[in-house]
Amino acid sequence: MTIIFGVFLLTLMVITALAIVHTQHLFVAVILSGIFSLLMAANFFLLDAADVALTEAAIGAGISTVLFLGALTLTGEAERYRSSSVNRVVALGVVAAITLMVIYATFDKPAFGDPQTPVQQHVAPWYIDTTANDIDIPNVVTAVLASFRGYDTLGEVFVVLTAGIGILFLFSATPTRRKKPQTEQESEVESTAEIKFGEGLRHFLIPQVVGRLLIPFILLFGLYVQFHGDYGPGGGFQAGAIIAAAIILYALLEGEARALRVIPQWVLTGMMAGGAILYSAVGVVCMMLDGNFLEYSVLAADPITGQHIGIIVIEAGVGITVTGVLLSIFHAFAGRRRF
Amino acid sequence: MYYVATIATLITMALALVRALQGPSVYDRVLAANMFGTKAVLLFSIIAFLYGRPDFLDLALTYALINFIGVFAILEFIRRRPNDAIEDDVTKGDVNDDNVVGR
Repeated sequence: MTIIFGVFLLTLMVITALAIVHTQHLFVAVILSGIFSLLMAANFFLLDAADVALTEAAIGAGISTVLFLGALTLTGEAERYRSSSVNRVVALGVVAAITLMVIYATFDKPAFGDPQTPVQQHVAPWYIDTTANDIDIPNVVTAVLASFRGYDTLGEVFVVLTAGIGILFLFSATPTRRKKPQTEQESEVESTAEIKFGEGLRHFLIPQVVGRLLIPFILLFGLYVQFHGDYGPGGGFQAGAIIAAAIILYALLEGEARALRVIPQWVLTGMMAGGAILYSAVGVVCMMLDGNFLEYSVLAADPITGQHIGIIVIEAGVGITVTGVLLSIFHAFAGRRRF
Repeated sequence: MYYVATIATLITMALALVRALQGPSVYDRVLAANMFGTKAVLLFSIIAFLYGRPDFLDLALTYALINFIGVFAILEFIRRRPNDAIEDDVTKGDVNDDNVVGR
């Protein structure tokens, strides 16, 4: 039955993907990509990958739509139409060839859920056995992510940080080209538009009331996901996205400028770097206590308690970095008037 | 019983998707996307019980809390844009020059 549900959802995904490619109206494409993300999360969930589904939920449902719309405000809504028929035929040929190759490759793949596959035989049983004894937390995914493969996650955090730096770098450039001389009337329109930009949805009662009511609960839930990641689905990446979503909601309601007054950009920049530094610092502390880099067992007298402390602290580092980067990207988009 | 509920939810999702694909106006699509999000919350809840793991309800809660932020962003976006050409799907000729300048 699960397989039937999965195939059904995947079919819907294919249809949505084709529609995204087909439409030339980018606003519609953004809405459809939101639906695509929901379907993806549902698929992950069907396959019992709750942590991944939670990440997809937190990023895809809220933040990516906001960022896409921010990009659309800066550019335009209609896709520029340019393609020659020769290009189209070549592209179609390449895509068809690759599709056939991928379909051919799937014939060699093991059956869905087969316990005898190499993936299930290699390190997975070891992780499952060792987690109960050495780390003693119910969520094996968190144990793998934070402890067994702590180096990988540290790398991921730095990748997130680098991506954030790259985007801030791109957006810090001021556009000089393409500025057309403005008539008086236009500049007047521009200034009223700027006043409107700063306000958010402040003058709309229902979004105001509902939104303001929900922000504290979203923040609380974000903290729950952050610190409950050892026991249920969740962790730093998801929590960072949820907390960032709460602040973005505030920015949408009250205007971007007010959100920046609550959490200024220098704080966000500090969070971006601070989380990554916190993570690395845990590793260095482990080394000072005669352990290996990121060997949390030495952090406390009892190795299992040490593991718990290490996982909580590095997850906090991950959460801080993700929140900082996502909010910085949001402000970079929202704070810009023109591309 | 959970299976019946799952199938019903999946069919509703498919119907919402049809509306999102067909349009005709942008608002239909926004509404369909919102509907899709609500159904996803339901689907997650049902599957959590179907698998006998109610602790996975966290996921449905995440969606319920976060899904409408996208809708707010759409509201803000529609308010921000200079022209009011959102009644129907904007085709090539429908976008005015001011809007295209940035690209």
